[in-house]
Amino acid sequence: MPESKKSPDEIYEEAKKMIGRETPPMVYPYSIEYESIRRYCLMVDDDNPLYLDPEYARKTSYGGVPYPPLALFGIMGRGSPAMMAGLTDGSAEEPLMPPTPGKFLINMAQEWEWFASVLVGDRLTMTSRIGDVYIKPIRIDPKAFWIVLEFHFSNQRGEKVGVVKNIVLCHRSPEEVAAEL
Amino acid sequence: MERAQLFWEDVQIGQDIPTSYTLKLDATRFVLQVSGTQDYYPVHHDRDFARSQGVPDIFMNTGFLTAATGRLLTDWMGPEGRLCKYRIEMRRMNLLGDTMTVKGKVTGKYLREGKHYVEADLWCETDGQGITTPCKATLLLPSRA
Repeated sequence: MPESKKSPDEIYEEAKKMIGRETPPMVYPYSIEYESIRRYCLMVDDDNPLYLDPEYARKTSYGGVPYPPLALFGIMGRGSPAMMAGLTDGSAEEPLMPPTPGKFLINMAQEWEWFASVLVGDRLTMTSRIGDVYIKPIRIDPKAFWIVLEFHFSNQRGEKVGVVKNIVLCHRSPEEVAAEL
Repeated sequence: MERAQLFWEDVQIGQDIPTSYTLKLDATRFVLQVSGTQDYYPVHHDRDFARSQGVPDIFMNTGFLTAATGRLLTDWMGPEGRLCKYRIEMRRMNLLGDTMTVKGKVTGKYLREGKHYVEADLWCETDGQGITTPCKATLLLPSRA
């Protein structure tokens, strides 16, 4: 949330206090389904039978169709379970984001680690956490904020299946930077 | 088409990953991106909105790029390989009209606690921008032993 009336250093002091804050576990309202996998594969012309042929997948050590590993974040990243179920438009929900001086957000990097496979029929739970906030200058903003958001996933048996760290850059416009000087 | 199983012993440090492929990032591909990722942020499909945000045109989202590089790996490692760790950096945009190629190279292989790991660098490159999206991955492969 941009806060233009405070200095970047003042906002940074507030943002640092949010490091470690996390959401309650959010249970995805639907189980993992074939159709989302089909659309995911079609996007990049992926015809791998491991994802598209249940009979083939059953004969592998998975014993069923696995969710493509890098699809994990997408299914949960579209908002809260209530939003995904169409129960709310999300306007009343408080996002897990620290305050920032700029409003321009860019997704810079992601780091993933997996601990178990996800199969069709699994039901996932996600917890989001603010992992870090720091200032690192970029060409157009000497007080650009870098935010590390963590997303921890578990399955219906309570087993940890993966974690994704999303590294987001938040900066001001050149006009906003000039106005501060 | 079934993928062949890759074994740890068959991987050589420095080799190119042989499942490289190319996609034309045309309008249809951008529609497929929205369908496949369910990401409706308009900077990835609305040209007027994208330009209003100061970028030259619509560009592929992170979910598309992770899927593209993920395909390179899952095509290569076969059904019994597993992806353990992965990192992607969005350094340049993969824009409408670009031709994007996904490539990779093996950078390491090692045994740890009886398991057989391979490390690789992967990347997306476009005809307009060169390497746009560098990645690193660690895979677990079956052994012939």
